[in-house]
Amino acid sequence: MTQESAPSELFRERLKAARELRELKQSELAERAKLPPSSIAHFEGGSRKPSFDTLRRLANALEVTTDYLLGRVDDPGLAEAGDPLYRDIGKLTGTDREMAKNFLEMLANKSKEKKK
Amino acid sequence: MTKSANLAFRLKMAKQKAEAFLRDEGITSLPVDPFAIARSRDIEVEPKPGTAGGVSGMLLRHGDVFGILYATHIKSEGFQRFSVAHELGHYFLEGHIDHVLPTDGIHTSHAGFVSADPYELEADQFAAGLLMPAGLFKRALGRHEAGLKAVEAMAELCQTSLTATAIRYAELTEDAVAVVISTGQIVDFCFFSDTLKSLPQLSWLRKGTAVPAHTATAQLNGDAQRVAQGDRVEEDIDIRDWLGGTRSARASEQVFGLGGYGKTLTILTCPSVQAETYQDEDEDDDESMTERWTPRFRG
Repeated sequence: MTQESAPSELFRERLKAARELRELKQSELAERAKLPPSSIAHFEGGSRKPSFDTLRRLANALEVTTDYLLGRVDDPGLAEAGDPLYRDIGKLTGTDREMAKNFLEMLANKSKEKKK
Repeated sequence: MTKSANLAFRLKMAKQKAEAFLRDEGITSLPVDPFAIARSRDIEVEPKPGTAGGVSGMLLRHGDVFGILYATHIKSEGFQRFSVAHELGHYFLEGHIDHVLPTDGIHTSHAGFVSADPYELEADQFAAGLLMPAGLFKRALGRHEAGLKAVEAMAELCQTSLTATAIRYAELTEDAVAVVISTGQIVDFCFFSDTLKSLPQLSWLRKGTAVPAHTATAQLNGDAQRVAQGDRVEEDIDIRDWLGGTRSARASEQVFGLGGYGKTLTILTCPSVQAETYQDEDEDDDESMTERWTPRFRG
């Protein structure tokens, strides 16, 4: 595997970029995302890492995708293409892998429906 | 901070994070429903077919949509609820985006205190705190007689497995108890309650050590069929039979076969230890106070 930055590292930069794109102050973003006022400064400064729950709130408040905030895509409006990569593939048994794939397809459909 | 102290701190915080979450959400009664919590965050939850073994659960993401798949090959509803709560831990705990997302949309888990990975341990602790929050658990616990009965009652109330409940019980009870899970003649793990730890020079039953010979547990574990059919035995013992130490204390050993997986739950309850503490408190005796407050160094 190549040495990529951890998702939380990319997140710091993307959060700031998205916030500036939407011309929001840290406190304004916090309010929109229903987070404590100081939290945005912590996230952008890297002293705190978000949870998925927080990530989603921030993505909603900024009207960008979680994939953008995670550094997976470079366009704020785009989500990653629906081809999940499998980490620890060796640990997943054949049926687990199959089920994960089917389930992801279902989530992908749900994701599409949401955008309509 | 040492590495193990750091981990202990992280685990404690994970549990408290779950408890704080319940407070924020206004969830103030047991049982806590992890499925409803997932729904409240628009997370799809689906069971894996009952025959499929493999991982206990997975957190999956596609774009902005999240889902949890959980295993049902273990029939216990408690285990399934714990598995879902564990995945919620990955969803709600800070920093888990780094653990579960290096390259994929899938995170798989083995819930239930079987992994040594700190992120998995954190998710286990989150699940324990979510399904058995300290405040509610302690309040309900006060109504029950110490030992297996209390664990069974709490497992029913929280809808958690006996094993997970017993571990939480040892953590939160004010009685002097030890909880031991064993397979055959080998100890899987052991937890002491704080009150029990006040007994001098107990020996810790480490993972992989032998179940003390001639105990009711050793006998029950010698008969796989009895373990499988969920037999139970209760015996009066001296706590030293199990844990050594320098002070003799009357105790009860309750053993319960956990069914087809070959594991046994043992609860050692030592009512006299607490009784003595209360007695001490009644006495206004400087000498006994000095004795009690002199730190003992374990050899």
